[in-house]
Amino acid sequence: MINDKNSQKIVDIIRNYARKHSLWILAYGTGCGAIELPPTMTSRYDAERLGVRGAATPRQADLLLITGYLTTKSLKRVIRVYEQMQDPKYVIGFGSCTINGGMYWDSYNTIKALDRYLPVDVYINGCMPRPEAVLSGFAKLQELIQDGKANGAKEYKENLKWYRDNQKKVITNWKMPEYNW
Amino acid sequence: MREKATTLYIGPQHPGITGNMMVRLKVEGDTIVKAATEVGYLHRSFEKLIEKRNWLQSFTLLCRFCVPEPDPVEESYARAVEMIEGREVPERAKYIRVLVLELARIGSYLLWYGGQSGSLGLYTVGQWSVGDRNYILDLFEALTGARVYHMYIWPGGVRRDFPKGFEKKVIDTMDYLEKRLDDYDDLMFDNAIFKKRTKGVGIIDKEKAVEWGVVGPPLRGCGIRSDIRIDDPYEIYDKLDFIVPVEEGGDIWTRALVRRQEIRQSIRIIRQVIDNIPGGEYYNKVPNPQKWALPKGDAYARTEAVRGEVGMYLSSDGSINPRRAHFKGAAYVHAITLLEHLLVGENLADVAAIMNSLGTCPPEIER
Amino acid sequence: MMMEEIKTTIIDRIKLHFSDAVEKEFSYNRLDFSVKKETVPSILFYLKEEMGFKHLSHISCVDWLEEGEFEMIFILWSPEEKIKVFIHTRVDRSNPVMDNIDMIWRQANTYEREMKEMYGIQFTGLEAPEEFLLEDWNGPPPMRRDFDTEAYAAKTYWERPGREDALDVRETVEKRTGEVLPEFAKKYKR
Repeated sequence: MINDKNSQKIVDIIRNYARKHSLWILAYGTGCGAIELPPTMTSRYDAERLGVRGAATPRQADLLLITGYLTTKSLKRVIRVYEQMQDPKYVIGFGSCTINGGMYWDSYNTIKALDRYLPVDVYINGCMPRPEAVLSGFAKLQELIQDGKANGAKEYKENLKWYRDNQKKVITNWKMPEYNW
Repeated sequence: MREKATTLYIGPQHPGITGNMMVRLKVEGDTIVKAATEVGYLHRSFEKLIEKRNWLQSFTLLCRFCVPEPDPVEESYARAVEMIEGREVPERAKYIRVLVLELARIGSYLLWYGGQSGSLGLYTVGQWSVGDRNYILDLFEALTGARVYHMYIWPGGVRRDFPKGFEKKVIDTMDYLEKRLDDYDDLMFDNAIFKKRTKGVGIIDKEKAVEWGVVGPPLRGCGIRSDIRIDDPYEIYDKLDFIVPVEEGGDIWTRALVRRQEIRQSIRIIRQVIDNIPGGEYYNKVPNPQKWALPKGDAYARTEAVRGEVGMYLSSDGSINPRRAHFKGAAYVHAITLLEHLLVGENLADVAAIMNSLGTCPPEIER
Repeated sequence: MMMEEIKTTIIDRIKLHFSDAVEKEFSYNRLDFSVKKETVPSILFYLKEEMGFKHLSHISCVDWLEEGEFEMIFILWSPEEKIKVFIHTRVDRSNPVMDNIDMIWRQANTYEREMKEMYGIQFTGLEAPEEFLLEDWNGPPPMRRDFDTEAYAAKTYWERPGREDALDVRETVEKRTGEVLPEFAKKYKR
């Protein structure tokens, strides 16, 4: 174990460097933003050069992309998925509708602010965000990771009660296992 | 010995599933004995919101009905509005609309190439075709200002005219794509794995196909020549010279073959449109949308999209808001009752391929 | 010319078998019939089996709140004759009960599930899971005209307050960059 403060700093730099270059996105197209992901991942924009690629299951993924509006039915699954993901994990809110509801501001079935329910590290605005915007979002997240500021997962653990209260407010039938960290 | 049936959930988070929906399967070993779909993860209540918007404001919502190919929805809605009001569309606008619809068709098919082959493990095709789809999106960007959601086809015409030099750009892109299509044939249709995994899988019964509500490429893959562009012609499709490809068999392979030929036909249509497009007005301007009330009445307009019939039932009560805008997408039938029926008896590994070949599009089902 | 003949034949045959059918003609290949709701299954079955209207294009429902009725529309398409037929019927809004037609077209099952959820129309003998699009919904059927989606959303979901400094873009730009805007740019100020 390293207890020395300076050595810890060096370890952090190396660890963050490694983390920022292997962001695996969970293959979960939660909304319409998922349509700009294939162009982002394929030949022209090629996000894989940043270490961003797809992962099939929550337990292998580092990055949860909320690609747009979340209906309450979907939110329930997203929370479940997020809690199954292992540390380090990050959330990117993708598109205007995750920020303030966007054009679904008066819809009875979609939530309006994602960060009330899940800890969001980076928001990408626009509808739809262009692949360039998506790439800049990834770059921003990498920057935050390198600086050690992308600690949404830690906040989630610390403020679990606040998040849970908000989540249970919109999900009336809460039938999910409580994860115990 | 009879194997014990297991319940298996595919989706909503699953790499093989197209979009955000779930299929609940009962499997014995590898064979599916019962399938049930569960949708609703993307229900944004569009139709309720459109009732609160006026006739033009609803366009921001309309293009989001089906994400991979939004233009047919706009076209259906715009045409339904024109039917109720009796508004004339300038000839040039009709040509531009056909051009946009066919470009959208090619773009959507290229995305489908990636999805269909990706569901069988051939990821290279997706890298190529989705990369090439960007050229189509570039054209859209030049024409409409947006890559994905265009909001371009409006009641009374289209929103703006061709930018300078656009015709040449279109022809250049089509020349390039035509060359590339041969590469896709080598990579995808000549591939032994693709043939083996698709032939005889997910067979739709030809006798029952129309009754079951099969439309679009899946229906033409059963050997039935049915295309709204020919049967119920809209815009200028009756003046154009193109073939509706038909293949006998009804499995994934023939559906793929139909789509493969349709891209070439779309390129042919686009060339004709560019050659014959007349000059003149492109927009029969609508009045101030805040005061624009449509007469009482209803209309149902349908458009041939890549997934099949995309229709819009509009009902007007004489006010500035739609009374009801009910959207019907092909996936509404394909991905629920038809999929549940087709999956029975199939192999578990083919679920994703069958879903892709039917053109499953969850946002269109749930709206 | 051909289309006119086809339309006349259809009208004659329908009127012969269903006395309550009221026709209404539309331009080119569209034909409308209004019937009582009890007639719907038989007229649909007749159109499908006897007259070649094999393809069910659409089923829709409109809420006429002021008249206290739901209007249901069945849109059929004949692949041979290339003609659309609309069947309109009215259902009482306070007691909305309809006959189930999913034995005529299997895909009608999906439409009925949606209408049951969105309008609260009961279909006698409909076999389907309770929930379709919504989950754990305990409000009124949301597509009814008297359900106020905006009030519901405001009550249920937290809304991010708008930025105070973004009411006038010009002012914001002025403040942020220190750039003085010319007079003509301020002309259209709110």
